[in-house]
Amino acid sequence: MIAAIVVALVVAGAVLLVAWPFVSPARELPEEALSATDRRRLELFEQRDAAYAGLRDLEQDHRTGKVGDDDYEQERKRLRAEAAAALRELDRLQ
Amino acid sequence: MAGRTRDRRLMRSAGNAVYAAFGATLVAVLMLLIALERHDFSIMVVYQHTTRQLPLQYQLTAMWASQEGSLLLWLTVLTGASSLVVYQNRHRNRELMPWVTAVLGGIMIFFSVMAAFVSSPFASYPGTPPSNGAGLDPALQNPYMVVHPPILYMGYVTLSVPFAFAMAALIAGRTDARWLASVRRWTLFAWMCLGVGMLIGAHWAYVEIGWGGYWAWDPVENAALLPWLASTAFLHSVMVQEKKGMLKVWNAVLVSTAFALSLFGTFLTRSGVVNSVHSFTQSNVGPFLLGFLAVAVAFAVTLIIWRLPLLRSEHRMESVISREATFLFNNLLLLALAFAILWGVVFPILSQAVEGIRSTVSVPYYNFFLVAFGLPLLALTGIGPLIAWRRASPGSLWRTFRWPMISALAGGGVLALLGAGTNPAALAAFTLCIFVAITIGLEFARGTSARRAIAGGSWPRALFDLVGRNRRRYGGYVVHLAVVLLVVGIAASGGYTSVVEQTLHRGDSLSIDGNKVTYAGLIQTKQQNSTTVSARLVVTKNGQQQGVLEPGRRVYTDVQAGQQVTNEVDIHTNYLDGTDIYGILEGISPNGSSVAVKVLVNPLVSLIWLAGVVFVIGAAITLWPDPREARQLARRYATALAREA
Repeated sequence: MIAAIVVALVVAGAVLLVAWPFVSPARELPEEALSATDRRRLELFEQRDAAYAGLRDLEQDHRTGKVGDDDYEQERKRLRAEAAAALRELDRLQ
Repeated sequence: MAGRTRDRRLMRSAGNAVYAAFGATLVAVLMLLIALERHDFSIMVVYQHTTRQLPLQYQLTAMWASQEGSLLLWLTVLTGASSLVVYQNRHRNRELMPWVTAVLGGIMIFFSVMAAFVSSPFASYPGTPPSNGAGLDPALQNPYMVVHPPILYMGYVTLSVPFAFAMAALIAGRTDARWLASVRRWTLFAWMCLGVGMLIGAHWAYVEIGWGGYWAWDPVENAALLPWLASTAFLHSVMVQEKKGMLKVWNAVLVSTAFALSLFGTFLTRSGVVNSVHSFTQSNVGPFLLGFLAVAVAFAVTLIIWRLPLLRSEHRMESVISREATFLFNNLLLLALAFAILWGVVFPILSQAVEGIRSTVSVPYYNFFLVAFGLPLLALTGIGPLIAWRRASPGSLWRTFRWPMISALAGGGVLALLGAGTNPAALAAFTLCIFVAITIGLEFARGTSARRAIAGGSWPRALFDLVGRNRRRYGGYVVHLAVVLLVVGIAASGGYTSVVEQTLHRGDSLSIDGNKVTYAGLIQTKQQNSTTVSARLVVTKNGQQQGVLEPGRRVYTDVQAGQQVTNEVDIHTNYLDGTDIYGILEGISPNGSSVAVKVLVNPLVSLIWLAGVVFVIGAAITLWPDPREARQLARRYATALAREA
């Protein structure tokens, strides 16, 4: 008897929980899909952040002697150029 | 449907369904625990795995001693983890979450059907319930059994989360690094649980099974090691994708492989297709698990092939002497080791199927591959952190590596002179461990020095800041240190153990590695459901007493199938020289006047358990939430996608 009551309560609770978004008075608009521009912006932000993270790692590697001065300068220029290119395109998309 | 229509009500309803599944599973667990505690022998699981005399903690842990209860535990962890995923992502990852929920829901449905219809923990005892149960396997009556299976299961099960995110990213066509950010901590958590679970299991084997070792390459031990190796590879290669936009296909493959291997591990543990010390239960779930594994693999392969155009690398590898290259080599070695072990596990099954004869591969097979792939992996553990991203010049390599290399070679030479050369593989492992330990020390020292140069302050403060600002990197180094301790422990105990087996009369002694072990008589002790007879062995060295060993044989009196006897080993650890003196009582003469004992001296086994503690510390540092990283990610996505909060 107790088991039957517990099962009934669990089933009722689960049904109510699953159905709640449809019976709740709050109305929600459908989620808007990402546009091609949104996706591109996201990619550019990731590229920018990856370049920033690369610069931080490079700085650390240079300070701890893993990267020589010449390699450091060359790699720094490349990463800065990557970050700048991402930022320029982001500006265009704003 | 929610993924296609983007209807928010459907999305919330799906999330609520996950919460409801968790709640319902918890109620089922609670009911089973109550039945176990109340000795309700009308339930088959309670009858088969407990008795009225069983101590309370083992009455409750009998839940996962049974096949049926284990499935319920799987489902509990899965629904719990899925609920946490839904809650964590209630305001983010909206494009992925419908698909994540669908994949997790699919896995949940499979295990729910198994627990409800194929192997139910609530199956009734046929006929009138007996007054007492059949009893729990004595090998499972150990404190480690309280925590070992749940922790291991948490590792297996939570690998479903990275798999669900990877599949969702492929379905939604969102193959950027965002899904990686969502799964990294889940993968770390699963990996940590698998690692800790294996170490606890190894300790359990060492103190309970009683053959003197801790790892026997048992198929079920291997089953936990396989997804751990695949996850280790993923945790390294994920950095290459984050930093360089490379290895996207590889990462999707690794996540899928880790999940498939976790299902395979569950299949091995629960199907009874292999002979294992873990074969406590056998059942009919094997074909279902194998079928589900095949479906999961086919699903992942199809999606990866479909999305190949989106998974192209953004950069090319510029040099084989770069950190990304060392990560790639590390991945190849880890996967090669995993597949060598997998072949050893499935070979008996395949030979049985093809030739009708069950041929097994033995310990030397596994040890060969452990040395062949493990030593280069160990070397890469030291090399990787010291090499720069993109490429390294010969000059910087020499500057970085000269002292660790010279020190390691000198250390290896000293060890050879001290006699370690009798086992060349162990000597090579020690030499590489010195190399890796020095590289880790140098990384911390140079990093702290650089931090002081930037921010000033004391050395401890600079070290604290350094680790706090680079948790993944320095937490990873702490884990590498755990690997060093583990390898030293395994190499020393595997390569230089001494064993003596002898029959002793009262007052007789045996000698082993300079220790004298004297038999002083028998002792009998009674426990709640067992009686133990132990031999008292006094250990002395140079006339000084080192300790007393009391290995015994325990007879369980509450097991209906007949009295069961287990070996109760005793271990004396000398923390000064790191040796374990390990005693096993192999037999007692009928009149009790003599005993047959086996004594082992295992060097440095304690380092393996210490490695477990260091491993957890390192993993915790890496897992610890970084508010700056979280803020940066939130800002990035909020700015890029103005509509997503």
